[in-house]
Amino acid sequence: MERLIQKRNGDLVPFDPMKIMNAIHMASQAVQDNMTPADYTYLTQKVCDMVSGVDVPTVEQVQDCVEETLIRYDFASTAKAYILYRAEHSKIRDSEAYLMDIYNRLTYSSAEAENIKRENANIDGDTAMGTMLKYGSEGSKYFIVNHVLPADIASAHANGDIHIHDMDFYMLTETCCQIDLIKLFADGFSTGHGYVREPQSIQTYSALACIAIQANQNEMHGGQSLPNFDYAMAGGVIKTYNKEYYHALEAFAEAALDYEPGKAQALKKVIQAEIPDPIRLEKEDEFLEALLDVLHDSLDEDTIRKMHRFSVRQAAESTTTQTRQAMQALIHNLNTMHSRAGAQVPFSSINYGTDTSPEGRLVIRTLLDATMDGLGAGETPIFPVQIFKVKDGVNFNPGEPNYDLFQQAIATSAKRLFPNFSFIDAPFNLPYYKEGDPNTEVAYMGCRTRVLGNNYDPSREVTFGRGNLSFTSINLPRLGIEAHGDIELFYKKLDDMMDLVIRQLLHRFKIQSAKKVRNYPFLMAQGIWIDSENLDIDDTIGEVLKHGTLSIGFIGLAETLVALIGKHHGESEEAQKLGLEIISHMRDKLDRESKETGLNFTLLATPAEGLSGRFVRIDRKKYGEIPGVTDREYYTNSFHVPVYYPIRAYRKIELEAPYHAFTNAGHISYVELDGDTCKNLTAFEAIIRYMKEQGIGYGSINHPVDRDPICGYTGVIGDVCPRCGRREGESVPLEKLRELRKKFPNVPNFVQ
Amino acid sequence: MTIKQTKKSELVGEGVGFDRIRRITGYLVGTVDRFNNAKRSEEKDRVKHGF
Repeated sequence: MERLIQKRNGDLVPFDPMKIMNAIHMASQAVQDNMTPADYTYLTQKVCDMVSGVDVPTVEQVQDCVEETLIRYDFASTAKAYILYRAEHSKIRDSEAYLMDIYNRLTYSSAEAENIKRENANIDGDTAMGTMLKYGSEGSKYFIVNHVLPADIASAHANGDIHIHDMDFYMLTETCCQIDLIKLFADGFSTGHGYVREPQSIQTYSALACIAIQANQNEMHGGQSLPNFDYAMAGGVIKTYNKEYYHALEAFAEAALDYEPGKAQALKKVIQAEIPDPIRLEKEDEFLEALLDVLHDSLDEDTIRKMHRFSVRQAAESTTTQTRQAMQALIHNLNTMHSRAGAQVPFSSINYGTDTSPEGRLVIRTLLDATMDGLGAGETPIFPVQIFKVKDGVNFNPGEPNYDLFQQAIATSAKRLFPNFSFIDAPFNLPYYKEGDPNTEVAYMGCRTRVLGNNYDPSREVTFGRGNLSFTSINLPRLGIEAHGDIELFYKKLDDMMDLVIRQLLHRFKIQSAKKVRNYPFLMAQGIWIDSENLDIDDTIGEVLKHGTLSIGFIGLAETLVALIGKHHGESEEAQKLGLEIISHMRDKLDRESKETGLNFTLLATPAEGLSGRFVRIDRKKYGEIPGVTDREYYTNSFHVPVYYPIRAYRKIELEAPYHAFTNAGHISYVELDGDTCKNLTAFEAIIRYMKEQGIGYGSINHPVDRDPICGYTGVIGDVCPRCGRREGESVPLEKLRELRKKFPNVPNFVQ
Repeated sequence: MTIKQTKKSELVGEGVGFDRIRRITGYLVGTVDRFNNAKRSEEKDRVKHGF
């Protein structure tokens, strides 16, 4: 009777020993195990003998026997290759079903019900385009895992040893870039869909800033940042002020001197020809001197002075108004404009605070005003992430040129959560700083990413045009659990895991490097990325990408320490000491790797939004509920002291600050204040100052910002709105709102 | 969110919740409703830091 074998789908087919031999042959070839044809025949015979006792063996049983036979006859590497091959194929079978299951859930469930649609809180998973984006993203991940990644790396990602961030973009692009608008705006630019001329007013500057962020967002998978927002916008203010000055001067000539429009215009042209430089804020007297010189033959001195005074007053007023409107528009645009086919707004960040020119100062002041006022109905703006750069000698102490703006930033942050604060004087930021060169000032991407050091080209340790290429995070608590208290074993596991991630980052970098300028019509073809302006459209980008960073991130230092020694760094000095040792060990290894490769390997305190729940879910299944380690729904953010642990604000800052020095790819620390403390600006400022003193690189203060959309109240709301007295979901009489509006003008009006 | 006034009753706000804005990584998020389960849980656990 013919022997049969049962396939996975239940079908019975003839048993064919040749298939077994082929499988062994392929596995041995893969690892070049030097098997002879006699070995193949012998091993195949052994497998057939083993299953001969079973009436109708299954494919799985036969494969088990192959594994066992290979191991028994000491073909260890072939056995390993065969096991990997099996694992990979079973993964593919699983993921096919898995992918279809995901598509089902994306299609038929709401974001409310499905966590997968809320992986990133700023993407609307309920919309058509949000769902389309998820189809693409999930399909892409499937492709990457099953057809692109080396088997062991795919498996490390799948089983939760590591997390490859933005894996759906693995074959496509990089994370983020610090966009220098001054360079971009000079002589105009193309978005990839159309050409725009160099902007000529602050309002166009602001509009094009948004367009640039939007265009670049569509070519990269991370957020986009403007590192020198104040300096860049100041150029627009200069142009507007100059334009408005001449506008007023013409009006004066027509009204007060009774000039015909043509004659007034001719007067303007004469002045512009003689004084080519624009009139500048706070330098009006210099301009007047030149003006008196130019016009002394055609007008009497008194008239010239009067005309100048009038024009300056008009121009100053109009420029302030226009700048204010431009900043309001910027915030509105960045909260409403679409990217990624409407699934989200661009993830935008703007850094400012150090430009001490009157134009730059006007930009900062009106931007903070606009942030304080909020959006149309008084809502707190979510974007852009605003980062106020704190610097000794510029804005930190009374008497310094921008101290007033630092104070305004504190008041704004205490109400609106933004700006966050970055510290140029931090010991790891200051060495790069060159006074008067904003390109050497540290700038952060919203979530926390930072670039500055440059191992590839030490003469270019700058911010502009650079960013992160990709990052992958390590599940640190798992290594802690598996070390079973053996610190030496922990480091061994950590090194192995870091080696695997380094290999993975280089694997991805190779793919990225093969891309061409034409794949990035904005980022590369418009010269936004550093040195890309020297490339032709069909050049590959590998060389210029080397200015970017390849980063290893980590999550859950607190849980790792509990797993290793029973306590986290918030509750034990010993744990803090070990924590710092672990993180500095990681940094040292990456520094060595940078030196060896000539690339920029950096250490990231991972933001971990989608990741915070994923690792712990897998680990709880694997190791059970370990108190202080796997017993919550999330692993603690990077090196943070756990959010649930009661600790004084100052102590938290002291404990977290030293980790900022090691995490050169980016970091953030925050403290949580209650609503009342936050109203105390002196207390708020004291915390920010302490962050600076302790060497924090980037920090902010969290406090509850609630808003009742019905009466417009913004502040802390418990169960009952303190202004209109309603509970969530309850209605209030329109009459009551009318009464409230007399006292609070920002009460929305629902009567059309 | 569209907020409609109920003509008959001259009332407004039925079924409308409060917005609660929180920082999640370095970003702000418009309302806690959009947080994933892990972050919701983390947000709930956060304790205030005294001086």
